Amino acid sequence: MEPEAMKMLAIGLAAGLGLLGPALGIGLIGYSALQGIARNPEASGSIMTNMILVTAFCEAIGIYALIIAIILAMIV
Amino acid sequence: MPKRGRLGFSFPVLAGAMLVFLLLLVVGFIVGPLGRSIFGDLGLPGWLSVPPPAPELPAEKVFHLLGFPITNSIIGAWLTIAVLVGFSCVVTRRMKIVPGRLQSAFEFLLGWLYNLCQRVAGEENGRRFFPVVATIFLFVAFNAWLSLIPGFGSITFATAEGEQVSLLRGANTDINMPLALALVSFVFVEYFGLRSLGVRYLGKFLNVGQFFRSVIQIVRGRLRAGLSGLFTGFIHIFVGFLEALSELVRIVSFTFRLFGNMTAGEILLLIAAFLIPWVFAIPFYGLELLVGFVQALIFSGLTLVFLTIAVAHHGEQAT
Repeated sequence: MEPEAMKMLAIGLAAGLGLLGPALGIGLIGYSALQGIARNPEASGSIMTNMILVTAFCEAIGIYALIIAIILAMIV
Repeated sequence: MPKRGRLGFSFPVLAGAMLVFLLLLVVGFIVGPLGRSIFGDLGLPGWLSVPPPAPELPAEKVFHLLGFPITNSIIGAWLTIAVLVGFSCVVTRRMKIVPGRLQSAFEFLLGWLYNLCQRVAGEENGRRFFPVVATIFLFVAFNAWLSLIPGFGSITFATAEGEQVSLLRGANTDINMPLALALVSFVFVEYFGLRSLGVRYLGKFLNVGQFFRSVIQIVRGRLRAGLSGLFTGFIHIFVGFLEALSELVRIVSFTFRLFGNMTAGEILLLIAAFLIPWVFAIPFYGLELLVGFVQALIFSGLTLVFLTIAVAHHGEQAT
């Protein structure tokens, strides 16, 4: 396989597979946050704040994968 | 007075606006690269299409000042500083007890940030942490939002080498600025921790108390208790080392979170404007506004949380 084709494959796989985990993670966070709000609507402010916080951590991991894909596409 | 329908407009005005929007969308589709691959080159004038985006990760140098290279992201950061300082001067020049519109908008913003600090960190800690947290929030948010103003990346400048370089660039898209902010946040966390707890703050990372106590127990002859304590002491040392490592990794994660979000957003906008020119990028503009605000909130909010953890007296002794 030529190097160009392998590079395209690497970029696609890095971005695609790397963003699978964080997407699932954010979905799980949203699921538990909505369950908590449904059980206890008064605590929804505090639940939302914590949900945003944990989502930030999870999303950062996805951004790492995206950065690797961008570096592969532009610099390598 | 025409009858006010949905969205406050009368029906003919709304229909006309949607028709214009649809027309721009269709023309943009035909002119852009998607339409060109379907319909072929229709010979439309060149100013209708958008050049392909060429985003460069390192920021381009514009000119040299006293031997230092000045990049366009530094000029963007200077613009943000000028806007923030200018707003603050204008608002606080003639402060009234019953505020006018601009002053009350600023009071709302700062009051909201102050409430956030107090909610997370408590009463007096909230007051101590407010300057750092509010500065980081305002700087990151205005850096992100000012780079969305139309014409921000389009003003070009001819450098000394003769190439055309855009004069302004959002400071968050250059990796040095998020790194600087992450280092500032790290230094302030350590500073406030040391100031509140003294040298005992470092005991969180060099957790050798249990180890030495069990060594003394072995020396005194109580072998079994000493050995089990020794094992726990090793675990404490290892956990302390992991805490120190996680403090340093936090710098890297802050940097890449902000840089990645902002750079990915800018590339997304450029590509959306290239694929279907003119109106297709409008929803992505909304997304970028939201992402700028959320990233600023996350950066300052995480700094606030780590500051709160750092000054908390850890009375718990882990097993």
